[in-house]
Amino acid sequence: MAEATTGRRPGVRFMSRSRLTGLLTVATVIALWFLLTSVTGLVGEFRFPSPPDFLAAFARLASTGYAGGTLLEQALQSLRLVAIGFAAAIAVGVPLGFVMGYDRRAEAFFNPIFLVLRPIPPLAWIPLAIVWLGLGDASKVLVIFVAAFVPSVINTYTGVRNVQRTLIEAALVHGAGQGRLIREVYLPDAAPMIFTGLRLSLQASWTTLVAAELVGAFLGMGRVLSTAYRDINTAMILVSMVCIAVLGAITMMILARVERSVIRWRKT
Amino acid sequence: MSERLPLWAWSAAGLILFFGLWQGAVSSGAVSSFVLPSPLEVLERMWKLMNQPFAGALLHEHLLSSFGRFMGGFLLAAVIGVPLGLMMGRFRLLEDIVTPLFEGYRYVAPLAWVPFAALWFGTGIGGPIMVIFTGAFAPCVINAYRGARLVDSYLIEAAQTHGASEFRVAREVLLPGALPSIVAGLRIAAGLGWQSLIGAELIVVSSGIGFVMVQGQSNLSPSTVMTAMAVIGLTGLLIDIGLRQIESRVRAKWEGR
Amino acid sequence: MSEIVIDNVGKVFGEGGGRPFLAIDGVDLRVEDREVISVVGPSGCGKTTLMRMVAGLEHPTSGEVRVGGKRVTGPGPDRAVVFQQFALFPWKTVRENITFGMRSRGATKAERDAAVAHYLTLMKMEGTEDKYPHQLSGGMQQRVAIARSYATDPGVLLMDEPFGALDAQTRTIMQEELVRLTNDNPRTVMFITHSVEEAVYLADRVVVMARNPGRIREIIDVATTRKAEKWSEEPIDDVMEMPSFTHLRGQVWRLLREQMGSDI
Ligand SMILES: Nc1ncnc2c1ncn2[C@@H]1O[C@H](COP(=O)(O)OP(=O)(O)O)[C@@H](O)[C@H]1O
Ligand SMILES: [Mg+2]
Repeated sequence: MAEATTGRRPGVRFMSRSRLTGLLTVATVIALWFLLTSVTGLVGEFRFPSPPDFLAAFARLASTGYAGGTLLEQALQSLRLVAIGFAAAIAVGVPLGFVMGYDRRAEAFFNPIFLVLRPIPPLAWIPLAIVWLGLGDASKVLVIFVAAFVPSVINTYTGVRNVQRTLIEAALVHGAGQGRLIREVYLPDAAPMIFTGLRLSLQASWTTLVAAELVGAFLGMGRVLSTAYRDINTAMILVSMVCIAVLGAITMMILARVERSVIRWRKT
Repeated sequence: MSERLPLWAWSAAGLILFFGLWQGAVSSGAVSSFVLPSPLEVLERMWKLMNQPFAGALLHEHLLSSFGRFMGGFLLAAVIGVPLGLMMGRFRLLEDIVTPLFEGYRYVAPLAWVPFAALWFGTGIGGPIMVIFTGAFAPCVINAYRGARLVDSYLIEAAQTHGASEFRVAREVLLPGALPSIVAGLRIAAGLGWQSLIGAELIVVSSGIGFVMVQGQSNLSPSTVMTAMAVIGLTGLLIDIGLRQIESRVRAKWEGR
Repeated sequence: MSEIVIDNVGKVFGEGGGRPFLAIDGVDLRVEDREVISVVGPSGCGKTTLMRMVAGLEHPTSGEVRVGGKRVTGPGPDRAVVFQQFALFPWKTVRENITFGMRSRGATKAERDAAVAHYLTLMKMEGTEDKYPHQLSGGMQQRVAIARSYATDPGVLLMDEPFGALDAQTRTIMQEELVRLTNDNPRTVMFITHSVEEAVYLADRVVVMARNPGRIREIIDVATTRKAEKWSEEPIDDVMEMPSFTHLRGQVWRLLREQMGSDI
């Protein structure tokens, strides 16, 4: 958000002023955290953990483990489910969205079905998935699939629908057939929008997985979180929240990498 | 392309096939209605839940209590998030201070706040409202911020040279200028907030439409679960339609009719 | 042989749904093989529509278009289009853009490399083959678009205000280059422009159109004067000051201005 350069503040900048402010902010927050918990004890440990408690809980999760597994086992379990659900969703969603954007009849056929299913929030599928498939991995993969499916379809569809008319015509007048049209015009022109869809899908995958694991799971980061809640272990609650956020951020960064390597032609 | 069949026929075919396959699968006995109730059975169940208390209340009473919580959390997010976003767009220092915290917060899935929300504010009203708030907050801030950045700085300067106070600048220049973007953000916020509430009700709350689903799940009653899903979807849709009305009105007014 | 025959062509938009709109009415025009014509007329008179029907991107609602004796039913390799907004593929390098049409025709790698080298030299753009369009100036982008169309070796080249988006200086350079290119490598060219100077400078004949409905107002011959006065041997600025040029330019101008009068 801070990348905008509007020259509202004239004058020479020795180093990025925003970055300096940002660092100061983070430092202040950490200092406040210490002050309110460890130093003054104004906030008790059943409301929010102190920094040492937080680190201790992290060490415990990483070494001996908590709620049935170590950090690595719990994180890998969650990562695995997200990867499977997300991959399955985009493997079906992107081609479906493409067909809907490419062919008016397919668009007319699938759109009303989407209008019926789309308003149901992905989280609302969790109980049905549990009734159908139990508390194991399958039900989680199903709800992640549902959650990640919709954005990948919608965005691919929109991207293909909005492929620039003149580029299609330029390809046609230079003799491109349907295959080249799809590969060399539709796909690249829709690619930025498709990736937007993938980003939203990935985000939805994590949100849904966390919810599903909170509702019931044998292993996974959400399971750590819900166990910590039951034990009123605020330090472990915070640890699992941070770990979930970091895992989400890592997968988003990987996706951004892939996007940059696929879309090389964009400015900067 | 559509020489033979008009497009509406394809649309009708899609819907008929969808509901037909669903109903057919159950009627033919291919799928047990204990696993997948037919559309008609879902309607039947809905009627029953509206007339017979389930999980402590009638269906629409559950919905009402969910909706009340939703409004509480959503309004709170708007009342705090929109001014914060506007001020971030106006004052660089505030932007620099908030941005790193905000970026970190955005990666935390809204539902991961449920434990703290429950510990801090209980599972009755306060906790769920906080969960909705965490879901709806980000789009309120981001869109208000973007909207404020789009307001021409000469408009602000014009207001200032006419002696407007900082408060009047915010109320009479920034807010109206950013309004289209803000309303678009509120739509996104409402969708995320509504979904977060359902999540909270699934996990810790013991009333509301999400709780109906949990009860249906533990009674192994898919028809109850699907009834609740339909009600949730419909309510979300109505909320979105309402906000879309406001959005198109604002756009029509601002961007010339 | 690549002559264009536009045979009593009419175009109505929005038949079926909406209010029908007569965009082109009864246009008859024959462009000889290797002849360059330019088309001018007030905006909305149907220049683009006419060209798109020759390209096969739009279909006449009455009459027909024939190119090289064959009726036009869709885009074909015998006709290439240069669009006003260049329409280069942003995700393809200069090399890939130039050879796009050649690949449709199954040109070998050696042929494609030769063509890229040939056109980039011709257009003084050596060393840009691996650049993406957004890294080039507007003038360079349009040169690549023209090279893309030339490289498919079409009999007919259709250009819709190709220099409209360029600044005045670049534009002049491009006009000279186009004359050189069509001299070295003659094609049948239909060139749409809203600049009267450009129309007269580039074409063998100038077609002046009128609107409501779109039709041909008059056709002015330039080729005879150009040959007699040896325009192509002079720089563009000098040509534009010759009496023979200003005379023809005035003639086209009057035809356009009389239409503006009828507008009010
Ligand atoms: N696809 C279309 N549908 C409806 N009307 C069109 C379409 N394309 C062009 N027209 C109309 O036809 C007329 C001629 O357009 P055009 O050929 O673009 O004119 P020019 O290129 O001379 O400016 C205009 O009035 C324009 O609005
Ligand atoms: Mg035009």
